[in-house]
Amino acid sequence: MAYTTFNRQINDQMKEPMFFGNPVNVSRYDQQKYGIFEKLIEKQLSFFWRPEEVDVSKDRIDYQNLPEHEKHIFISNLKYQTLLDSVQGRSPNVAFLPIVSLPELETWIETWAFSETIHSRSYTHIVRNISAEPHKVFDDIMLNERILERADDVTRYYDALIDGINLYQRCGEGTHTINGQSHSISLYELKRRLYLCVMSVNVLEAIRFYVSFACSFAFAERELMEGNAKIIRLIARDEALHLTGTQHMLNIMAAGDDDPDMAKIAKECEEEAYAIFRKAAEQEKDWAEYLFKDGSMIGLNKDILCQYVEYITNSRMQAIGMKAIFSTTQNPIPWINTWLVSDNVQVAPQEAEISSYLVGQIDNEVDGGDFGDFDL
Amino acid sequence: MPCVKVTAGVVIDFDGRARTLLDALEQQKLTVNFQCREGYCGACRCKLLSGAVSYINEPLAFVRKGEFLPCCSTPDTDIEIEIP
Ligand code: FES
Ligand SMILES: [Fe+2]
Ligand SMILES: [Fe+2]
Repeated sequence: MAYTTFNRQINDQMKEPMFFGNPVNVSRYDQQKYGIFEKLIEKQLSFFWRPEEVDVSKDRIDYQNLPEHEKHIFISNLKYQTLLDSVQGRSPNVAFLPIVSLPELETWIETWAFSETIHSRSYTHIVRNISAEPHKVFDDIMLNERILERADDVTRYYDALIDGINLYQRCGEGTHTINGQSHSISLYELKRRLYLCVMSVNVLEAIRFYVSFACSFAFAERELMEGNAKIIRLIARDEALHLTGTQHMLNIMAAGDDDPDMAKIAKECEEEAYAIFRKAAEQEKDWAEYLFKDGSMIGLNKDILCQYVEYITNSRMQAIGMKAIFSTTQNPIPWINTWLVSDNVQVAPQEAEISSYLVGQIDNEVDGGDFGDFDL
Repeated sequence: MPCVKVTAGVVIDFDGRARTLLDALEQQKLTVNFQCREGYCGACRCKLLSGAVSYINEPLAFVRKGEFLPCCSTPDTDIEIEIP
């Protein structure tokens, strides 16, 4: 069945499954099959922020004074996050919009992906400020083997789903010969790719960002790179919401009321789901090793960070009804929670003022005098 | 005044000094994981072994059967909980 941007079939949207039913026609929210997605949209909109509102100008001096191995930690994490948000800013739209069947879910996907584009723009804001040659930082992303290795696992499930959808929507189920090559697709196989894709996105947003978050907050605990930390807090807040969104999708799929095939697939894919989590955790541990190859930073080292990866992997798995795979049960860096908490509830230790969190407020009160004590 | 029994052996009176169950647990120096403290991230999930809680605001995070979110709830009855 080909995709259409305004499906003429008169359907009862309340009876459509999340995916692979009729394409959405009227974007209406007066009735909702899953009200949670509308709530997520409202929450995400209430989180709206612009990178330019966060003053990062002091970070420039901090960065220049960092020892080389800490510069490496900081900038490598930024590059990795840039990769992740480049993928997340487009892929939910490209992969899920052609197959979604509920208006509230369709709009959640768009809202989610839009917030990722803010994250991407914030990295440019940070890099422009700390480096006179921002292009070098971004150019390196496409050349850095450590990052490209990760890109492969981050994009594989999206690409397999998108490829299957293209074939299915053009040719339908069956085996088709295209440019002399034979390709097969079935709706069931597509659903399987969808499930694995959502699972891998869940892992991306649940685990892959957190090594880098931990480093950003470890700098900020020392009152370094605090502008960056403010931005990371805003990103982490968004990510927590995205994670909740994919957890809901996975749980609705596994329950089977929405689409009985999905419940069956969730069972069949159990082993693969474990493997996706395990591989991501291993890759993040390798990443920690790469970050600290020339030396640790105060408050964090490779071992602590690896334990944190294990701890967070366990808790993310349990959230979707899986069993923990690591023996770590305690958070080795409990101070990170204070940085991750929502700004309107509690203020992190070093944060005297958080006015920049308010939409529309601009916080740029740094003048030359503030830099008086520094030698450049 | 509902009482909160934690499987570690701690018993807490929920006597109005804490706004939420998470606050009450923290006042007893119990470590509970948290992130958002307002029901949308799910980081604070704990097991509810017996009793009932109500939510100050309906949480957005997915809550499985037998679990609850202490960051945005208060006990309705005596409850028994397990912190993961
Ligand atoms: S801390 Fe986020 S849901 Fe409780
Ligand atoms: Fe993001
Ligand atoms: Fe995200």
